[in-house]
Amino acid sequence: MKTFANSNARDLQQAVTLVQQTHKDGKAASFVGGGSDLLGLVKERIVSPDMLVNLKTIKGLDQVTQTAGGVNIGGLITLDTLTRNPVIRRDYAVLAEAAETVATPQIRNVGTLAGNVNQRPWCWYFRNGFPCFKNGGNTCFSFGGENQFHAIFGGGPSYIVHPSDTAVALVALEAKFRIVGPSGERLLPAADFFALPQQNPARENVLGPEEVLAEVQLPSARPATRSTYHKIMDREAWTHAVVSAAIVLEMEKDVCRNARIVLGGVAPIPWRLPEVERMLAGQRITETLAAKAAETALEGAKPLAKNGYKVPLTKGVVRRTLLGLAGRA
Amino acid sequence: MSKNKSKKKISRRKFLKGTGAAFAVATAAPALEAQRPANGSASAVADASVPRTTIRVVINGAERRIEVEDRWTLVELLRDHLQLTGTKIGCDRGECGACTVLLDGKPVYSCSNLAVWADGRSVQTVEGLAEDGRLDPLQRSFIEHDGPQCGFCTSGQLMAAKGLLTRNPRPTADDVRAGLTGNLCRCSNYNRYVEAVLAAAKGGAR
Amino acid sequence: MRRQTNAPVKPLKTIGHPTPRIDAVARVTGKAAYSGDVRLPGMLYARVLRSPHPHARIRRIDLSRALALPGVKAILTHENCKVVWGAGGISGGLQYNDEIKKITKHRRYAFNNPVRFVGDPVAAVAAVNRHVAEEALRLIEVDYEVLGFVLEPEEALKPGAVQIWPEGNLSPTAQNQLQPQQTRRGNVEEGFRTADLVFEDRYSTAFVHNAQMEPRVCLASWDADKLTLYTPTQGISNCRSDTARDLGIPEAKVQIVCQYMGGGFGNKNQNQDADLITAMLAKEAGAPVKLELSRKEDFIGVHGRWPTVQYYKVGVSRDGVLKAIQLRGYSGMGPYRKNSGSIGGIDLYQCPNIERVVYPVYTNKTVSGNFRGPEYPQGFYGIESMMDDVAYKLKMDPVDFILKNMTRKSNDEVPYTNYSLEECMRRGAEAFEWKKRWRPQPGSDPGPIKRGAGVSFMAFRSALGRSNAEIRLDAKGQYTVFVGVTDVGPGAKTTMAMIASEALGVPLSKVQVVWGDTDRCPYSVGESGSRTTIQTGQAVIEAAEALKRQIAEKGSPKGQNTLAGSASPNPSLEGKVRAAFGAHFVEVEVDTELGRVRVLKYVTVHDSGRIINPLTATSQIKGGATMGIGMALHEDLLYDRRNGQPLTAGFYGARILTHRDAPEIEVIFIESDDGYGPYGAKSIGESSKVPAVAAVANAVFNAIGRRMKDLPITRDKILGALA
Repeated sequence: MKTFANSNARDLQQAVTLVQQTHKDGKAASFVGGGSDLLGLVKERIVSPDMLVNLKTIKGLDQVTQTAGGVNIGGLITLDTLTRNPVIRRDYAVLAEAAETVATPQIRNVGTLAGNVNQRPWCWYFRNGFPCFKNGGNTCFSFGGENQFHAIFGGGPSYIVHPSDTAVALVALEAKFRIVGPSGERLLPAADFFALPQQNPARENVLGPEEVLAEVQLPSARPATRSTYHKIMDREAWTHAVVSAAIVLEMEKDVCRNARIVLGGVAPIPWRLPEVERMLAGQRITETLAAKAAETALEGAKPLAKNGYKVPLTKGVVRRTLLGLAGRA
Repeated sequence: MSKNKSKKKISRRKFLKGTGAAFAVATAAPALEAQRPANGSASAVADASVPRTTIRVVINGAERRIEVEDRWTLVELLRDHLQLTGTKIGCDRGECGACTVLLDGKPVYSCSNLAVWADGRSVQTVEGLAEDGRLDPLQRSFIEHDGPQCGFCTSGQLMAAKGLLTRNPRPTADDVRAGLTGNLCRCSNYNRYVEAVLAAAKGGAR
Repeated sequence: MRRQTNAPVKPLKTIGHPTPRIDAVARVTGKAAYSGDVRLPGMLYARVLRSPHPHARIRRIDLSRALALPGVKAILTHENCKVVWGAGGISGGLQYNDEIKKITKHRRYAFNNPVRFVGDPVAAVAAVNRHVAEEALRLIEVDYEVLGFVLEPEEALKPGAVQIWPEGNLSPTAQNQLQPQQTRRGNVEEGFRTADLVFEDRYSTAFVHNAQMEPRVCLASWDADKLTLYTPTQGISNCRSDTARDLGIPEAKVQIVCQYMGGGFGNKNQNQDADLITAMLAKEAGAPVKLELSRKEDFIGVHGRWPTVQYYKVGVSRDGVLKAIQLRGYSGMGPYRKNSGSIGGIDLYQCPNIERVVYPVYTNKTVSGNFRGPEYPQGFYGIESMMDDVAYKLKMDPVDFILKNMTRKSNDEVPYTNYSLEECMRRGAEAFEWKKRWRPQPGSDPGPIKRGAGVSFMAFRSALGRSNAEIRLDAKGQYTVFVGVTDVGPGAKTTMAMIASEALGVPLSKVQVVWGDTDRCPYSVGESGSRTTIQTGQAVIEAAEALKRQIAEKGSPKGQNTLAGSASPNPSLEGKVRAAFGAHFVEVEVDTELGRVRVLKYVTVHDSGRIINPLTATSQIKGGATMGIGMALHEDLLYDRRNGQPLTAGFYGARILTHRDAPEIEVIFIESDDGYGPYGAKSIGESSKVPAVAAVANAVFNAIGRRMKDLPITRDKILGALA
């Protein structure tokens, strides 16, 4: 690997200051959590930091804390710890399920929630170092190329799909992200964290190069809420979502009071379906309604030459997941 | 990071890691400002400008104090500098599991973790499974059930299994497959590994 | 030494009993030293710079900045290294012997100019550590003249296509003839005329990488003029002779050492360019050099199974008897003809009129080569899908169609030494409950989740051949068997020990094996083509006989003395043909809404003669069948057509099967002793991969009623077929 220095951070402020200083010195710096994704990118020379600021050494950034307003999750929590947390499993199942589908046990044992949310795309053009938007160039090779796994919504000028499973769940849970940086802290709804390529095709989110996703805040789980994450993979494990769905339903007997539905694997950001949600609010979720919801979900889809199959696939995922979740006793 | 424009369409091709970028003509090499001029030394001691850190790590039960280059992966430390070659590199990208070791008792890819991050922690490799020369029940079971075919994934499968049984001493076959799903076997000896782990668990392995 | 044949086979004293591998302890304790684990004092590390272009002429290479990097000890390019890699690609995919050397026009060098695929080596650096070597590569400046490229074999044969070699893109035969491979029997045109029904169709298969767990590595060390290579090779003897030939030094001056290797499935045969590059770097640098290929380099720079396009025309009578089979096939070989490019399968069937014309074609993709049953999984998938389809069109049960038309004599002419296909089919169908699981109406299950069953069968060569062995006895009563095996995975060391134990009439504990070192071990055919048990095993038996004669003559050795027996048999089949037989039965469940395929039940029946070690033999069958599932459903190497770049090199990109993808594979052996081979053993290593792909594909058809004609059968194709 290209040489770099590792610096173990003491606290977030110091970590941020260190990255700032490195940048001021004209060098490149990266925050690192679990490091699985970052090291892969460094080995491929996609990124070449001179300094790695290790956040794992900061105490207290990995806790799950119940508050009056809900639950706070430290960004440095490992995916494994997250999936096993009883509060998360019970009240925010979609997040536990999403985290559990990520990669393999070995990666979940070190991979962090913040790291997973900030994961770079798995587009094969990007990862093979093509001079695309994400690599500092001015084109997207998937357009007119091999785009079997690329976006059917929100694409252009880049057509990547967002690779993170937890991101989809967090948008469905209407989480807030607490971001720490040089100008202090800011609190952002998860949905506003992710950015379409129209805004800036080089980036997937609005996190500044000197900012850290320090904490995820989940609102209190309302009573009679149920949720689930359904992930389609090409292999039974260890693969990013071809298509996925995070669904949160507030049920009153068999009537859906409120629905939140977010898709993964279809767009450069977690793709929320507000029209479908409106359609379901106050309704009994019947087979007919679920099928109608699935159709509506795909309105406006713009498949590329090789990913048209994602349209019927996504319909199937939406319909089945909705029915399955609504039908649970 | 410097960006270089070039007239050729695929000018900035970084296509294979470890093989560098084959540029058209005259491109700047990144981050080599610190290199000293060539000397004729045949010494294998690395350049002093490469950042290093001294770490304390317990490896297979023995505490070690080691100076590592910050850029060394954990597997590089184990294999090349501690002569613990039981842990294998299959891909160096966290895509195969051959490099699995236990870090504080949990299976991780040692290729995807830096050596410096093991500071203050404990690492167990396949060499540390046997106790006083007595094979771990998992190792015995692997032998009986023909676990290794070519054997290259075996160390990783063993360590993942060890981690699994520590957490879940009575796994079902599905649990075993889930626990070892991060370990590829191209000989595709999967049936045998599952058999072996279940048998070891039944025999009270932990 | 013919024995009686075809009586039921019972376990012998050692043979036929499940026996753990004799080297298993080393493997499970991490003590087994694979090539990459070996370290030598003063060892340097090497890295290879590879072409980023699918086709380009190298105008200029500037090494000055790389050479100036501290720690760089040697750099090779085509300018200072003209070594020809004979096994890497010669006309007709044969051995680069003296005869071929004189006439071949398509030499593959260690460093070629022009470079002809993304990954073709351009330069190699040896440095004090791998990080410096990597940095040095980035300082090498190469001026390329980018040339046009062609990726698909049929495209490559069209007039006006980019010419990869001056003679065009059809790879010549070993005699430099620009002709496809051709086999004929009878008269197909006549056959089609007399057939009641004629069917035509097209099938395609993808490039599938061997993807063995151990990446390519080599450690080279010179001691004066003697070269030692620590390299994973399936055949130390072949590796040695190839390397000696390529470097122009005597065989006696080359030592190949391989004590353990992490798989290969055919891409670690002969020698590899990595071996030559490492040897030359070590010579240049005056120090041992270790070259480690990354996983991506291994995918792109070594080889995988050739992709094919197969056009079939089949004539049958109304009651389902084959009248004529015609295959026109195209194999994508990459720009160098490393192996045959053949497409097998036609000789699976009895048929009076056949015609097989196969074009091995050059393309600017990664080189194609041998992978577990080199020409068979792709050919069997094509023809057994075709015949399966014909059966349905005739409203016949595919099992009945196979029973009616499967080969009964080799090429309809030469008797097999023994024959068990009928039994394989019937026992398999019974164990699998074929009638229960097979849907006479494909795709007829109601609802989106549909199940179906498919069948395939196979015959695979088990010829006899040459190999050597030596056995020594010491005064303590310990026998040592010297065989040139390395054990690519099937357990050859244990098999040889068991055969020796049986032949000598002593317990296994009295037998140890010395392997994997050309300085100590005699010639072995090499673990490819499923020949080691048959050929080297026979040599072990005859060496044991020779030793027993010695003992009878001279008595057991005393003190420091030893007795030795050696043999180098080259037995003959007396005009017959010997084959392993098998049948696979697969049940799948397809979720037609989500495009997901799951294998629910998989029954294999195999006749590999007498099974020497049931423990390892069963593992082989399970492994090969599982690999077949991966080839059927997932594996491919995608290229971007606009720029000829490979996109999915690596374990993740190729979607190699995980634990969770692997179903339980049931194995039934039909054992026999046909009087040939060691105790009647036939080939086994490749047997279970070759029919697997066809069985899975046929099961998918039965489940969804759509014939999937292009491998791999991925989700997008299934959903597309059902749309």
